[in-house]
Amino acid sequence: MWLVFKKEIKELLRDRKTLFFMIALPLLIFPLIFGIVGFVSKQAIDKAETQILNYALVGGQYAPDIVKELQQPDKFNLVEIEENADYTAIIRNDTVDFVLEIPENYSSDVLQNGQANVKLHFNDAGLNLVYRRVNEIVKSQSELFQQSAFSTLGLDDAEQNALIEPIVLQKVNTADDRENWGEKIGGMLPYLLFIICLTGAMAPATDIGAGEKERGTLETLLISPIDRNKIVMGKFLTIAFAGTMTALITVMSMVIWGLVLSQGMAIKFVADFMAQIAMLDFLLIFLMLVPVVAIFAAVLLSISIYAKSFKEAQSYMGPMTILVIVPIMLALLPGVELKGGWAWVPITNVSLAMKELVKGTMDYYQLFAIFGSTVLIAGALFAFCVYWFNQEKVLFR
Amino acid sequence: MIEIKQLAKKFAVENPKKLSEQEKKDPRLKGRFFHSVQDVSFTCHKGEVLGLLGPNGAGKTTTLRMLSTALKPDSGSVEISGDNVLANPVIARKKIGFLSGSTGLYGRLTGRENIHYFGQLHGMSEESITVRIKELADLLDMHNFLDRRSENFSTGMKQKTAIARAVVHSPELVILDEPTTGLDIMATQTVLEFIRGLKEQGTPVIFSTHHLDEVQELCDKVTVIDQGRTLFDGDIASFKALAEGSLHQSFMAAIQSTTSE
Repeated sequence: MWLVFKKEIKELLRDRKTLFFMIALPLLIFPLIFGIVGFVSKQAIDKAETQILNYALVGGQYAPDIVKELQQPDKFNLVEIEENADYTAIIRNDTVDFVLEIPENYSSDVLQNGQANVKLHFNDAGLNLVYRRVNEIVKSQSELFQQSAFSTLGLDDAEQNALIEPIVLQKVNTADDRENWGEKIGGMLPYLLFIICLTGAMAPATDIGAGEKERGTLETLLISPIDRNKIVMGKFLTIAFAGTMTALITVMSMVIWGLVLSQGMAIKFVADFMAQIAMLDFLLIFLMLVPVVAIFAAVLLSISIYAKSFKEAQSYMGPMTILVIVPIMLALLPGVELKGGWAWVPITNVSLAMKELVKGTMDYYQLFAIFGSTVLIAGALFAFCVYWFNQEKVLFR
Repeated sequence: MIEIKQLAKKFAVENPKKLSEQEKKDPRLKGRFFHSVQDVSFTCHKGEVLGLLGPNGAGKTTTLRMLSTALKPDSGSVEISGDNVLANPVIARKKIGFLSGSTGLYGRLTGRENIHYFGQLHGMSEESITVRIKELADLLDMHNFLDRRSENFSTGMKQKTAIARAVVHSPELVILDEPTTGLDIMATQTVLEFIRGLKEQGTPVIFSTHHLDEVQELCDKVTVIDQGRTLFDGDIASFKALAEGSLHQSFMAAIQSTTSE
């Protein structure tokens, strides 16, 4: 068995393509992609912030203060439009970026004239900061009016606050930081781990089963005097090992790059957060991963040995990724908790358990049931794999 | 020696509609089963070379796969020096060296590693593997490419490595499925010489082929099968006597002897 395992690993390590997916991709490509996405989006936001916006003003005479504020040639550019122009049309054909419509009752004397309803016409689809930039100006005016109204009424600070917001609903979070962030991060963790594990295991799995068939080495291997079970076990371990390694490498790379990229402030937060999770929980998270990886490996190996060629194997494995994503997504849904029926949904229960472990709210007794049931499923699938490997109609299709 | 009696093997037909016209006409198709091999018997003694002849689709590969224990026959028996192969496949595997027609190598391993791996699978010690590889490399003239990755090998190099791999454990019986198909003249010659070498050592060899000149050159015995049945089983002299002239005519005579029945 170890013989088969050792040889498969050796072959795996010599395959540049597989190595690329297992190691290079998570180590270098992911941070690179995130970096590029971050860089490009920052560029886009910067551009939106500094871009000179063309605008048209209707009823500007009612609000001289706003007109004045808009007279910043490096930010805004006034465009004259006809009186009954179609705002939608001129915005669509890029004559203006926005049209500001100020009502007649606009006045600094709020108590006298009531609320002013200023309309901002613009195209809000896609990234633009029109609303934010105009709102800055309008809001400062609005606050000024508020202040003058309050002073007319002769209200002190406390009365002003009470008037602005008569009732405040204050949030008192009983969850500590760990639970709070654990809910957010802990949900993503199994998602990432499982998917990466699966993709990492896929390449060697294709090679080890269908690849061996395609190259014609399978028959020779089958008639060597080694137990069929041992061949299956060796191949199974290789796939599981590759999957786990890929997942671990990816997580490590994310942690390291995360630390590097978000230096300073975030380090302390991450470190604090990590420190709260006991070593035992980390171990348990890893332990929970084991039967899941075994499930993946057994299914992948069965698919791979059934397929006649690489191509066939790959087309079977595609849908499998989707099948795996669904139960993990279920665990991310609000309201799905490790209770009742959900505790018995395979994969979903492991995802939930991982989340609970990160949050630190795990009921450890439940772990036994989840671990046990997952191991059972993995065992059944492995047994199927062995049975599958003894079927002539599978091996010599 | 090896003795094969009334071997038979049928395959379930998954989707009868997918079969070609020719396959549908084949009398071996019965209901949902395709009786690929129906009745094959032959024997091969120590030091003999047996040529297995038959048209494409006659059941040669299936027969050889059953001999090599890759497939399990539905009925019949295979005995190698008294050991029942069907009852004890693992013991039988140690005694057989099998080279299939479509065999390949692990491309990312070197030639030596390929052979070494199968030596290990056969439970040989490190020392004996090293000695054996050297011996085979001398015999097959493989020293100049043995430590290169086999994905870049030429067809001849691959075939030599595959042969070495098949016999690394010094088997008592060697089975070769169309070992010369697709090889150039030089590589073919290497394979034939190797078979001759085995014969000199007294190791029985069973090989299937379409080249009658190889049969003429090497074989002591000939077995002709068609449509899963043994049509002729005897020594080369009686095979030649089947018809006047060339071996091709003898072969045709053997095939037609039953078609006319």
